[in-house]
Amino acid sequence: MTQPWRFVALPIVALALVAGVLGVQVSHGGGEYEPLHPADPCVAREVTSQAEGIDNLTERLVLLGLDGAACRLETSREALTLELAQQDEPTDEQVDALRAGLHAAVARMKKDGTLPKISSFVDEALDNTDLNGFLKAAIKALPDSVIDAALKTDDVLDRAIDDLDLREILANLDDQDELNAQLNPVVEQAVKDALVDRLENLI
Amino acid sequence: MRRLVGPLLAVTAALVLADSAVVTLALPAILRHLDTTVGQVAWVLIAFNLVLGLAAVPAAAIYARAQPRFLSALGIAVFAGASAWCAVAGSIETLIGARCVQAVGGALALVGCLELLVEHYGERRGVTVWVTAGVIGTATGPVAGGLLTEGISWQSIFVVQVPFAVLAVPAALAVRARPETAPDRHRPALRPNLTLALLSAALTAALFLLVLLLVEGWRRDPATAALTVSVVPVAALLAHPLALLLRPPPHVEVAAGCFLIAGGLVGLAIPPSDHLAWTVAPQALVGLGLGMTVDRLTAQAMELRLPRIRHAGWTISARHLGVVVGLAILTPVFTADLQDAQVPAQEAITALVLDAPLPPQDKIAIAQALGDELVDEEGRIPDLHSAFARADVAPEQRPAAAQLERDLDAQLTRAATHAFRDSFLIGAGLALLALLTVVAPRGRREQP
Repeated sequence: MTQPWRFVALPIVALALVAGVLGVQVSHGGGEYEPLHPADPCVAREVTSQAEGIDNLTERLVLLGLDGAACRLETSREALTLELAQQDEPTDEQVDALRAGLHAAVARMKKDGTLPKISSFVDEALDNTDLNGFLKAAIKALPDSVIDAALKTDDVLDRAIDDLDLREILANLDDQDELNAQLNPVVEQAVKDALVDRLENLI
Repeated sequence: MRRLVGPLLAVTAALVLADSAVVTLALPAILRHLDTTVGQVAWVLIAFNLVLGLAAVPAAAIYARAQPRFLSALGIAVFAGASAWCAVAGSIETLIGARCVQAVGGALALVGCLELLVEHYGERRGVTVWVTAGVIGTATGPVAGGLLTEGISWQSIFVVQVPFAVLAVPAALAVRARPETAPDRHRPALRPNLTLALLSAALTAALFLLVLLLVEGWRRDPATAALTVSVVPVAALLAHPLALLLRPPPHVEVAAGCFLIAGGLVGLAIPPSDHLAWTVAPQALVGLGLGMTVDRLTAQAMELRLPRIRHAGWTISARHLGVVVGLAILTPVFTADLQDAQVPAQEAITALVLDAPLPPQDKIAIAQALGDELVDEEGRIPDLHSAFARADVAPEQRPAAAQLERDLDAQLTRAATHAFRDSFLIGAGLALLALLTVVAPRGRREQP
């Protein structure tokens, strides 16, 4: 091997080896192998639920509501969830943002047609109430069209959201019985208020 | 016995230098067994290298005043006794203390073995055997440590050293070398020793970080990790034939080796996934670089310099203080990065749990179990399996929960890999600094 080649041959081989290895790594996504980045909560996303009936509606509302709250607080949905889980009690700002996020979720679901009519879950709701059996049977006997004409889902939900004690709900997330005990009176009251308003408007 | 003297002394030199990194793969096991922290367990490595680096030059000086065979035998005996002490250590403090004693014995044994090997084989062959034994020990230490940890226990790493060292004591006593009384005629070779120190720091990054990434980040068992990092010594063996083929001048070979190590470390910083195959080519670059640099730099630092033993002490010192500098720089960086990685990892986990195809109550049950696990494992990479095993999930939802567990593990792996990136890149920077010391213009006094 000639003298100049002895100086350049190994550096050229080394350069080619390093360039080859790094080139293959980068072309296969090297440098981008990172954890998921949180999505922008201000950009609408599709949410789904494996649950049925009221649970399905509640989960979709909560997921969309979290997005709305995070967007208002200028954080990510994930960061807000972790903060709420790790704090003893949510701040006033967080509670306000959550409430506003839930209202926005109702509006969005109404707008895109994914908000179910109230008749679709009235039987399930009645089963969870303390109303006497006669009254339950009477309401169940009403045609869906009458129920849907008397009560609008978005109206009931907005009223319920206004009355919810979000601090209490966040504290009892792991206790289904406690949650039901807290939610049912609020929903019942929202239904009553919606019916009274409806009657007043008719009169 | 006469025929075994040389091999036993060479094995002793290899053992002492292997001890520099032999516990690397055992660190996660030590961390769990002695219930300590990542920062503390790093001192099992740091303490040995720091004491060996500081003791090597004074140890060499002592050899001018005493019979090398007695001092070597004493050093080997201390090394063997301290190895046994390491094996029975019941706390991290005891283990670190035993490692310090082991390093003092190791320093005496290492420089003594050089003198005895030169007496036994002659100058040229003796130095070559000593340097080669050191490179083999350095390169194979982590592999041997990993296999022993997985096959037996982390304590066995220290136990297996004892019989070899015990056999080396009579071997040392059998060589009648004279004390090295030559006055200090040459100053330490600054440039090769500096390059050696920087490269040792970079190689520490390669081995120490890669092992931690494989075992803690990617959840591979120590045996798999040991087999994976064996790419480095295998590739190091290929460096010699490549150099013979291309016949580069020594400083060009060292410069190319530094560049290969830097390139390999950048490759380790950016794997496209957690598949072990993605570490092979970068490790091969590191191994080739190791084979082109360490033995050549050690020989350069000692070449035609007297007294030989004193200059051997300087090279040992440079290498091991380089390892300490590497660990001192990298340990706080990657522990802080691992801490910082918790936030994106938790957010990714939260996103996947929120969007999981599970009923709301199952999501809440899993989220609670995960929350407890993350609190328990504060500062470490959590094991999510126990959280999923604990979560009260309906039987029909188990397949979906299992898929969620796999997805969350993938996110943790991604977060851990990302957390190691900066440390590997700093290692690459150290290798490039070593390259600079090779290609920087030489002063007149340094001209060969």
